[in-house]
Amino acid sequence: MLVKDVISILFMLAGFFFFTTATLGLLRLPDFYARLHATGKGDTLAVLLSLVGLAVYHGFSLTSAKIVFIAVFMFLAQPTATHAISRAAFRCQIQPWTVAKGREK
Amino acid sequence: MTRASDDVIIKALARLLMPFIVAYALYVVMHGHHSPGGGFQGGVILAAGFVLLVVTHGLEQTRKRMSEKLAGVISSIGVFIYGGIGALCLILGGNYLDYGKLSKILLVTPAEARSLGILGVEIGVALAVMAVMYIIFFAIFTAGESPEDDGRAE
Amino acid sequence: MTQFFLFVGVGMCALVLLCLYRATYGPTVLNRAAGISAIGTKTLIILLLMGVIYDRIDMFIDISMVYALLNFIGCVVLAKYLETTGEVSC
Repeated sequence: MLVKDVISILFMLAGFFFFTTATLGLLRLPDFYARLHATGKGDTLAVLLSLVGLAVYHGFSLTSAKIVFIAVFMFLAQPTATHAISRAAFRCQIQPWTVAKGREK
Repeated sequence: MTRASDDVIIKALARLLMPFIVAYALYVVMHGHHSPGGGFQGGVILAAGFVLLVVTHGLEQTRKRMSEKLAGVISSIGVFIYGGIGALCLILGGNYLDYGKLSKILLVTPAEARSLGILGVEIGVALAVMAVMYIIFFAIFTAGESPEDDGRAE
Repeated sequence: MTQFFLFVGVGMCALVLLCLYRATYGPTVLNRAAGISAIGTKTLIILLLMGVIYDRIDMFIDISMVYALLNFIGCVVLAKYLETTGEVSC
């Protein structure tokens, strides 16, 4: 087992952990904005960590350069897509969930 | 639906990503015979870039760069390139799309002529697919009403 | 090492199934959009893991790049559509 394999495993496990937390947030949080907050941030970080792990495993080549390019693209695009959806929800007058509202039910 | 988005974040990101999308589409077209992809896929990515432009910068801005009429002309040119290369092979004495026969006019070996012929056909397919996807998207997005009628988009 | 990537891929597929719950039963169309966006990002990583397992990553990387691009454009178009029509209650 090489050093780069260990680094790659660590990065992949960290990415998988953040994917799991993001999915749990998507399933368990009370309203739309909170769910989008969980996936928007958690998935972005998890994708970055997983892609870095794969790039480290593959070594220095054109393929890992492409993986880094995908990472940069996701780093820009994923928050923007989240922002677009949440903006659409805000424009449609969806009210955020509050603790008081949750107690009423 | 056809107005420009008033959100500066999405507009700025679309402006930033557009050249990379087009460059990647050209890469997919050019590398069609080494990696997955080819004319059809590259054309679809080009059309996706135009879709992003329409959604973020509005119909008016996109029409200035590529009108429906121009898209129709480009789709015809793409089909003409495809058919023309095929017919050229027929004229030079081979079967339809028999690229090896192109070596007589390209002055290269038959293997290289085959590669170049495939590249030419893929460029034609990419142009046709891009223009036709753009026309279909245009027709759906404007719900069949051309904004040229009353001079403003909505 | 391939074994490890295989396990991570299987775990990711289980997460996709969990997200599919939100995409299917989500109360409004916005929740469905969030679920589908989350599925898209996980699929990107699954494609790359498949490339590593089959040892053809130079092929799968192009597919995953197109997938990321189309996921982003689909999200933006869907958001624009919902914003314009204003019907999100179904």
